[in-house]
Amino acid sequence: MQDGHYASNPAWADVQPIPQDDGANPLVPIAYSREYSEAMDYFRAVSRTNEKSQRVLELTAHIIDMNPAHYTIWQYRQSLLDALKVDLEEELNFIDELAEDKAKNYQIWHHRQVVVEKLGDGSREIPFINQIIEEGSKNYHAWSYRQWVIQKFDLWKDELAYVEDNLRIDVRNNSAWNHRYFVVFSHPGHGVNQATIDREIEFAKKMIKIAPNNCSSWNYLLGVIRTTGYPVENLTPFLEDLKNGNIQSPYLLSTEIQVYEAVAKKENRSVDEKALEDISVSAGIAE
Amino acid sequence: MKENQLLLNLAPVNMADQHNDVAVKKHIAYFLHNLRMMPAAYTETETNRMTLAFFSLGSLSLLGKLEETVSLKDRTDWIEWIYAQQVHPDSQNPSASQHLCGFKGSPWAGHVFDPLATSTKSDPMDGASIPNTYTALANLLLLGDDLARVNKRAIIATLKSLQEDDGSFAPTYGSTERDVRFIFCACVISHILDDWSGIDVEKAVGFIRKSQSYEPAMGQTPGEEAHGKCLYCKADQPALTLMGKVNEGIIDKQGLIRWCLDRQTTGFHGRPNKDADTCYCFWIGGALENLNAFELVNTDNLRSFLMSTQTSRGGFGKDAESPPDVLHSYMGLATLSLMKESGLSEIDAALNIPIAGVHQLRKIHAQS
Repeated sequence: MQDGHYASNPAWADVQPIPQDDGANPLVPIAYSREYSEAMDYFRAVSRTNEKSQRVLELTAHIIDMNPAHYTIWQYRQSLLDALKVDLEEELNFIDELAEDKAKNYQIWHHRQVVVEKLGDGSREIPFINQIIEEGSKNYHAWSYRQWVIQKFDLWKDELAYVEDNLRIDVRNNSAWNHRYFVVFSHPGHGVNQATIDREIEFAKKMIKIAPNNCSSWNYLLGVIRTTGYPVENLTPFLEDLKNGNIQSPYLLSTEIQVYEAVAKKENRSVDEKALEDISVSAGIAE
Repeated sequence: MKENQLLLNLAPVNMADQHNDVAVKKHIAYFLHNLRMMPAAYTETETNRMTLAFFSLGSLSLLGKLEETVSLKDRTDWIEWIYAQQVHPDSQNPSASQHLCGFKGSPWAGHVFDPLATSTKSDPMDGASIPNTYTALANLLLLGDDLARVNKRAIIATLKSLQEDDGSFAPTYGSTERDVRFIFCACVISHILDDWSGIDVEKAVGFIRKSQSYEPAMGQTPGEEAHGKCLYCKADQPALTLMGKVNEGIIDKQGLIRWCLDRQTTGFHGRPNKDADTCYCFWIGGALENLNAFELVNTDNLRSFLMSTQTSRGGFGKDAESPPDVLHSYMGLATLSLMKESGLSEIDAALNIPIAGVHQLRKIHAQS
């Protein structure tokens, strides 16, 4: 788009642009590009008259391309989707393209959710999200949206395998760990039984052995233990194993202390500071 | 003994170079420049200009130089600019405006600049937002205003209308975005206005509890990955102590402190296995301060990380490779303030407002 796209355009000749009124001595004014200022001047004008037209749909796309974080522009565009009966598959194409370099923007994800909800069809979503996660494996919005999609369209089936693929690529991807927890423990109608808990604990242990300094797998292990009431002292042989393998990890030490404290509490013993110190020494951390 | 003391005193001075000191003069120039004109790169944050202003005004306040470097005329004009962003009830149509009151982030929608208005023609596309209402009030306090023109009742009524059944808040009318951070902002607003009737505290605490993930820290909403900035906004005093609900709100305090401390490498990162970032030094550092555990932070490492993100043109970047921006610059200084860096003034870590603003607030509360 060129500078002066609207003022010199006969298709917009009927619109009187409205500038922003920022007062005489504004606080933190922004040195907008002329292209952005002009587009916004026209948006202010057409939104004031509540115009719902193809040219406004195009205007919102132009502004969104320059400023994808502008919540109200998106909201206005959503009202246009209904009013103009926009082909929602086309709208998804529009978002696909935008997301290529703006995937960290919250509004894009929200808009996608609105469109998909209207469409009532989630078949394009998992491939779309997969592509974004492939490019940014810890994209918070992508993982959050994934939770919504699998709940909404009952797409739980392949999720555990997807998580494992991601952890195979990067065992330190905490977003994938969080998703695993969500998939295993939040699936409605799939109560968690002892076999599942055991499976998850064994999985975390296996991943810890691969990377003993990975806080994500330790957090997962301890999280499962805490939320399911699995007896933490059952970890003792695993921790001993790691120590015998000369593993030095602050998480190993910290977990050992948690086990010690939990056992002391269970047996109504007070915590012996000397014993805690011994753990530190044996873990090679204290002198 | 005397000799040793002398050596100890001398050592840091000898080691000091420009890189090791907070570059006060450069920071002042950086913030003053940004208060007058933000570069085009900030276009994406145009709806949150109020908050951008808070980062610069707050930073100058932390540097102890706000009154000295900003003229009385500018301070007066800027107070007017802030009031011009206030959305009042619409005297012609009060029911249409009840979700819209408070402060907007900017005049982007093109309505007339009127700092003295007492009624605002309701425009559902141009309502106030909870985060910008919080930073507007903070800005007014930092600029020495008495909040006399703040429409307190209207703001509280809007807060009430923006709280959902699950206890969370929408940031603005019509938005479906939910994030525990808006609960934090709603709490600070209630504290500043000294009126808690806009928040259903039980429900808010319930939402905070539910957002605590297995880790055990907090995501933006239940089920989401634990995230440092969410944690600050919930775990700490603003949301919970201000409500008097720390014990009810935090499921596993020891675990939370441990999670926070695990986020430190040199600086802090916001999620496990991510890189350190200046803003998380404050989000997590501030949370630890509010959990009375800041003394467990390795401040030497933290300081050297922050100094590596200080840039030669003033301001701080998110890491040593990044250019400065006002958010990370404020967060860098706020963290140094938590560490009691000499020359910086204190920050109230519960409210996330520099102490000069809090003193102004106490004065207003004492007079009312």
